[in-house]
Amino acid sequence: MLQSNKTEFSDSVFAREGTDRISRPRSRWIFLLGAWFRVLELSEQRVSMFLTRSEYDRGVNTFSPEGRLFQVEYAIEAIKLGSTAVGLKTKYGVVLAVEKRITSTLLEPSSVDKIMEIDSHIGCAASGLTADAPTLVEHGRVETQNHRFSYNEPMSVESTTQALCDLALRFGEGDEDSMSRPFGVSLLIAGYDENGPSLYITDPSGTFWECDAKAIGSGSEGADSSLQEHYNKEMTLEEAELLALSTLKQVMEEKVTAANVDIAKVAPTYHLYTPTEVEAVIGRL
Amino acid sequence: MHENIANIENSKRAKKKEHANQSRENRNMAMMMPPRLNPTDSASGPKQHQTWSPYDNNGGTCVAIAGADYCVIAADTRMSTGFSILTRDHSKIFVISETCALASSGFQADISALQKNLDARHQTYQHQHGKQMSCPAMAQLLSNTLYYKRFFPYYAFNVLGGLDDQGKGCVYSYDAVGSYERVGYAAQGSGMQLIMPVLDNQLKSASPLVLPKRETATPLTEAEAVDLVKDTFASAAERDIYTGDGVEIVTINARGIQKQYMELKKD
Repeated sequence: MLQSNKTEFSDSVFAREGTDRISRPRSRWIFLLGAWFRVLELSEQRVSMFLTRSEYDRGVNTFSPEGRLFQVEYAIEAIKLGSTAVGLKTKYGVVLAVEKRITSTLLEPSSVDKIMEIDSHIGCAASGLTADAPTLVEHGRVETQNHRFSYNEPMSVESTTQALCDLALRFGEGDEDSMSRPFGVSLLIAGYDENGPSLYITDPSGTFWECDAKAIGSGSEGADSSLQEHYNKEMTLEEAELLALSTLKQVMEEKVTAANVDIAKVAPTYHLYTPTEVEAVIGRL
Repeated sequence: MHENIANIENSKRAKKKEHANQSRENRNMAMMMPPRLNPTDSASGPKQHQTWSPYDNNGGTCVAIAGADYCVIAADTRMSTGFSILTRDHSKIFVISETCALASSGFQADISALQKNLDARHQTYQHQHGKQMSCPAMAQLLSNTLYYKRFFPYYAFNVLGGLDDQGKGCVYSYDAVGSYERVGYAAQGSGMQLIMPVLDNQLKSASPLVLPKRETATPLTEAEAVDLVKDTFASAAERDIYTGDGVEIVTINARGIQKQYMELKKD
């Protein structure tokens, strides 16, 4: 749908330009008074080209006539290239599991961190352009710590998610330290607050949803349907660990090892599993 | 000690003067200053009279008692300045939320500014987080709010009372610059010296240093606590000229917020 609409639109743009080009040589014959006019003509041509050709996917803050922000849509596409991340909510806490693409045996697995702590009661898994994730996470850390400073209480998971989404949408404003393009990551935010455990998913458009179970990244379609089939609200945390890992296993190309997956839980505090703990969960598969 | 400080100040001033003489404009400014014979003498020089103060003390007393499942917050309704009573029915209690009320004595203008500030902060909090602020959260916010005006403080002595997240009564007592403590009961304001020993005698809170930590809530029932509050105010009104006319008593419990009023001496 997206693809077809886009090509149609750009076709019409080129068509209009084509007619321009045909009419030009005629006008040039009429005003043939020397090279000077030719120069004038060329610059005029460039100006008119600028006006007629509408590239709505270049500007990050310009809507296309159909009411779309292409750069945001492309950023959402970037998520689909990322490694798979899975999140599951149980009554006892939330489990996050991510695939780490270890592209070389010489790569240090612990240096690939796709699960991060935002506050002691909130963790998040990132997929997509993961280099963008620390910026968002850092913002979340500042917001949650500010909340603790002001109110001497942990910030609720929904408010933290909202704060991250506020930043996600704050791009293309042109000021010094703001983002020039949409963030290319999607986050699974797992938390535990006064309302119990919760799982949220955010995307580059600054939208967020609350979920029981969700997968993001390249294998998200397969993982989501697998989760829909096997998830139930009454799961224990151990069962959730297992389902998260087996779901990842299904969509991963490589064999699951302690080096190429990360698991974390928030129950009720954030904990990133050590390689030995991951090994133990793999052993139960 | 004081002399040392004075000397340092004077030598600073002397240096400043030297610097001032370097430019013509600054020298003109210096000439406009009151003449000073010798910089070192200035400490014992003519005393500068303070002609205006940004503060007034409008008096008043605030008391709060925390129980197992209730909180009583009370304050008299007299507002005075010096020997004059400005009004006999000025409420010093500000109900911030469904579980939180603030009683403040001191300077009425500052108190009203503080209340407006807290109310605005609470309103934004509700919009951002979709819930009312808890009493412990408000306690921290009040402390920060007072501390941020550390060098031009709100002239307000506060007692914050309400219910905590578990529904237990809680009372927070403050100084003017935001130092605060959760206590079982508290008194602030002009009648504090008269009321506090009575509360100590009747309610005897455990020292906060005792381990394991003791419950701060008082063992009294809600009705007993209200009676005690009424007695302390009637007594304070006998001797404190800034306390009287009436006492407003707010009780917060699981049923909500109730307000009552008792007449006090009007002399």
